[in-house]
Amino acid sequence: MPQHIVQKYDDELKKLSTMIVQMGGLAESQLASAVEAIVKRDSELAGIVVAGDAKIDALRTQVDDFAIELLARRQPMAADLRIIVAALRISSEIERIGDYAKNVAKRAVALNQAPLVRPVHAIPRMAALVQALIKDTLDAYITDDAAKADAVWARDEEVDELYTSLFRELLTYMMEDPRSITPCTHLLFIAKNIERIGDHATNIAELIHYAVKGEVMKEDRPKSDDTAYAVVNAPGGTR
Amino acid sequence: MNIETMERPMQIAEAVKAKVSIENLAFYYGDSKALKNINLTLYDRKVTAFIGPSGCGKSTLLRVLNRIYEMYPRQRAEGKVMVDGADILDPGQDLNMLRAKIGMVFQKPTPFPMSIYENIAFGVRLYERLSKEEMDERVESALRKAALWEEVKDKLSSTGLGLSGGQQQRLCIARTIAVRPEIILLDEPCSALDPISTAKIEELIDELKEEYTIVIVTHNMQQAARTSDYTAFMYLGELIEFGDTKRMFTHPEKQQTQDYITGRFG
Repeated sequence: MPQHIVQKYDDELKKLSTMIVQMGGLAESQLASAVEAIVKRDSELAGIVVAGDAKIDALRTQVDDFAIELLARRQPMAADLRIIVAALRISSEIERIGDYAKNVAKRAVALNQAPLVRPVHAIPRMAALVQALIKDTLDAYITDDAAKADAVWARDEEVDELYTSLFRELLTYMMEDPRSITPCTHLLFIAKNIERIGDHATNIAELIHYAVKGEVMKEDRPKSDDTAYAVVNAPGGTR
Repeated sequence: MNIETMERPMQIAEAVKAKVSIENLAFYYGDSKALKNINLTLYDRKVTAFIGPSGCGKSTLLRVLNRIYEMYPRQRAEGKVMVDGADILDPGQDLNMLRAKIGMVFQKPTPFPMSIYENIAFGVRLYERLSKEEMDERVESALRKAALWEEVKDKLSSTGLGLSGGQQQRLCIARTIAVRPEIILLDEPCSALDPISTAKIEELIDELKEEYTIVIVTHNMQQAARTSDYTAFMYLGELIEFGDTKRMFTHPEKQQTQDYITGRFG
């Protein structure tokens, strides 16, 4: 897009997007650290993540204040209006991602007090996928790339599939050994949190699509989270 | 809103009736072509805003609609401007009747140097013979419709020049309404007014569109967005984009429109 006649307006929009990217980067690394705390059974790191969420919350307030200030002072139109409204909404999506990462970290502390459960490696795999979604979403945001945002949006299906298979796996473990119920329940919630983070990343992708194209995405996103319908029979087939 | 109506704003509702159809209109100031092939529909009892940078032709287009340009030499229009099915550019068109049907309010308030009452009665007398009683009624009703009555009812015989800028502009609107037009042309009616007077005029526009077809030329984008149902963006004598105001200011189709309304270098 051509530059604004008032150069400061361009600087302000740039500042807004920089704040969003900074927020997103923080959320992404919070998720990475929370998952690392699980894998390395590092409760200290988990504590740092829990404390770190406040920074994202503070940034969210700053983004919202600044966006509202821009609405009041610039009375934006067309693409500018969409960019600023999208930023307001993206900041709240990222804030939710931060909350989920914090919850993952809290559960890491609890997990570290229980014996190790086998499928723990599926969690970092899911997290890596979701981190890539966040990263690509932020790339799409900073480059106004609606096609890239659309691609992220479609990719969340993989996360859902992984989540569904992990769900079944964990249920099986719990049936096999009741002592695993506590850690497995935490793992289940952790997986659910990560899956939700993926959903928020797709929400951001939709907002980018709207900001760039001026229209809302038409199709419903393909979803493969079938856990709401999942039934796993107990070993031995007893009822 | 479904996609169909977003892309075809001119077909939003069948209930919307065309009042003015501008067809292949060109306009010349001497040899210089100020309007090029304008095709545009103005809808009955709707507000249409003309926006665009200075010199884009929006005021010229407005001036064609009541042929006020004929007061100046070497200015001419080509094409058709159909109002209720009749071409007002027809040489046989009675200009006085045309200007009674299509009233105009200018950028600067232009009260006559006479009383508030006479400011309104003067124009009415050009077209109609009314008894004193009927005239009193006409003056009051025009002032009420222009939201000025309460402020001036006790000083109708004082000079119109003693009113504030905003009141003078509403007086001019009352004067226009008094001759019972069907279309009101507003040429930057608020550019010389403070925000409160501007708000009063905008409130008035909202009320007047119940009865009149309104065209407003404005440099204030927010004003166009606030007051109009349809917006036409003009540039260098051409109509670049016309559509539903909501869409024009959230998601214009043309890059030129986008650049102009967001304040970018085009």
